Amino acid sequence: MSLFGMLLNWLRSKTCLLAVLFFLGLAGLVVANVFVRPHEAEYVFDVYPGFWAVFGLIGGLAMVIVMKKIVQPMISRGDDYYERNS
Amino acid sequence: MSAIASGFVHPTVGFYALALALPFLPGKAWKWLLLIPPIVAIWSVMTIEPGLYGQASWLGQTLLFGRVDKLSLIFAQVFAIMSLIGMVYALHVEDKLQHIMACVYVGGAFGCTFAGDFLTLFVFWELMSIGSTFLIWLARNERSTRAGFRYFLYHTIGGLFLLIGLLMRYKAVGNFEFDHVIPAQMQVYDWMILLGFCVNAAVVPLHAWLPDAYPEGTVTGSVFMCAFTTKTAVYVLLRGFHGVEALAVAGTIMCVYGVLYACIENNARRILSYHIVSQVGYMVAGIGIGTAMTMNGAVAHAYAHILYKGLLFMGTGCLLYAAGTTKLNELGGLVHRLPWVMVLYMVAALSISGMPLFNGFISKTMTITGAAEAHRTWLAIGMEIAAVGTFLSVGIKLPYFAFWAKPANDKIELRPIPANMYCAMAMGAALCIAQGLYPDMLYRYLPFEMEEMYRPWTTWHVLQALLLLGFSGLAFYITREIITPHAKTNLDFDFFYRLIGRGALALVSKPLAWIDDRWTEAYRAVGLRGLLTLARGTVWFDTKGIDTVVDGSAYTVQNVGVLGAKAQTGRLQEYLGLAAALGIGIFALVWYLA
Repeated sequence: MSLFGMLLNWLRSKTCLLAVLFFLGLAGLVVANVFVRPHEAEYVFDVYPGFWAVFGLIGGLAMVIVMKKIVQPMISRGDDYYERNS
Repeated sequence: MSAIASGFVHPTVGFYALALALPFLPGKAWKWLLLIPPIVAIWSVMTIEPGLYGQASWLGQTLLFGRVDKLSLIFAQVFAIMSLIGMVYALHVEDKLQHIMACVYVGGAFGCTFAGDFLTLFVFWELMSIGSTFLIWLARNERSTRAGFRYFLYHTIGGLFLLIGLLMRYKAVGNFEFDHVIPAQMQVYDWMILLGFCVNAAVVPLHAWLPDAYPEGTVTGSVFMCAFTTKTAVYVLLRGFHGVEALAVAGTIMCVYGVLYACIENNARRILSYHIVSQVGYMVAGIGIGTAMTMNGAVAHAYAHILYKGLLFMGTGCLLYAAGTTKLNELGGLVHRLPWVMVLYMVAALSISGMPLFNGFISKTMTITGAAEAHRTWLAIGMEIAAVGTFLSVGIKLPYFAFWAKPANDKIELRPIPANMYCAMAMGAALCIAQGLYPDMLYRYLPFEMEEMYRPWTTWHVLQALLLLGFSGLAFYITREIITPHAKTNLDFDFFYRLIGRGALALVSKPLAWIDDRWTEAYRAVGLRGLLTLARGTVWFDTKGIDTVVDGSAYTVQNVGVLGAKAQTGRLQEYLGLAAALGIGIFALVWYLA
């Protein structure tokens, strides 16, 4: 294993620390958004601080939950579905 | 048409010359020749002046091989760069046929880009289709063989739409010139041509060939394919059909549709394929909206997309090459064994996600901002949703489950990855970052005049991108147990294509086969007996008629010959006597008649 590989493996053992850093970073972005706003709103809502944070979070959650929990059970078949049915 | 200039080295020539020469080159040194056509192509497109080059007459038609303008040049430029990266990536491949087909395919893409008329375009369009089909077949397994046939069938149908359209157009307007169509004046034939282009652009619901075929291509072939087919289609749509409202809506649907399917996919190369549909959606939408900014956004995004998508396919190609699979449920825990593949993949993953510092940031945001400025708010919102999904699937899900999830995996056997594959990925990654940092590298080639050039590097744009992507990342963190990929086949529109195929097969094998059976019976009962009677009659005629006549004349000739031979005694006095008798006879006859 290369030195770089070992470093990456070491990072794997520090997931808690990385998660905390990630959350702090996100909080920092939202705080920054209070001060930095678009010069003119491209959309009606993006003058409000945190709009894109909510958009990304809700959009992401909705996409994963709807697709994996509702849509996939309806449209998925066995991995070899087409091999068996052709 | 203005004057035809000379001095243009058409990039296609180099690729086709190599394709023709490769079968005859012995030894192993030929592999270095693979780099020559891309280098010539880069030199050619960087040095050529805009103008019209290479006109020819054929069957009374004027063919234009070299329409060189800002639009064709920027596409040709990125094609040339990608062909070099692709060839470097494929340097270790010893199967000559793969290289030949890559040349046929890439050469076709250049041919389409510089084509000034529909006939030339159509020929190169079909050559691309043939080349790419082989790049799938040459994976040489059963799945790829089947996928290749489906791919070829589908593109043949797409090509036929184009052919029907251009022939109908010829009938109506009397020429094959390929230029912009005014959206309000589009005729049926224009729509047919548009439909043919849309098949190659993978516009939903005509897209399902793409995620069906690209995951089955060869490791190196898919790298070429992800770059050229859809982007050639984007180029022709941009040239011929910008401002068509249907494309604006269809493009946004593509953006969202692709990410939704990628969200539930398990096969890494299929995830990337769905993201081609999604990313090409941005371009198609930009073309449809049709302002200078959205069209420049489409061009810039095509350029950036070719580089990062090639890099993504190279990264997953490394996984396939080393581990023998791209199914995420079979991978995981590989980061310490393939660290550089992960890093180079991540450069592309962050690029496609539109992360600042990478080239997706300077291209994707241009189209979205352009859409918003053109007051197409819903379209812009759709593209933003797609941006969230892109980061979720390609930016986090794919690398997480391929490299990070599961404990360190030391059991799976990995084939060493050749240095040239790393080298090609490093080239792609360097360009993705360089363009992200210096947008002008790309912007200066953009073909459409804008009042004010778009500036991606503003504090607000950076913050907006970070907020959007950061919180998409949080959504992944929360749902990481739910989004875990499962080994499933997700039905897409190809389910219906296959139904049509199966229907055609059933029609052939059931009703038509029944008719064929009945016909065989009837033939046996009536036809065969009739034929036998006819044969007997022929035999009788042959013996009694032909033989009598032919044999009879033969015997007559023989008998005359025998008589003649007997007459030839060789005695002079007899000949003289005979001649005298003949002479008297003729004299008597003449005297009598006179």
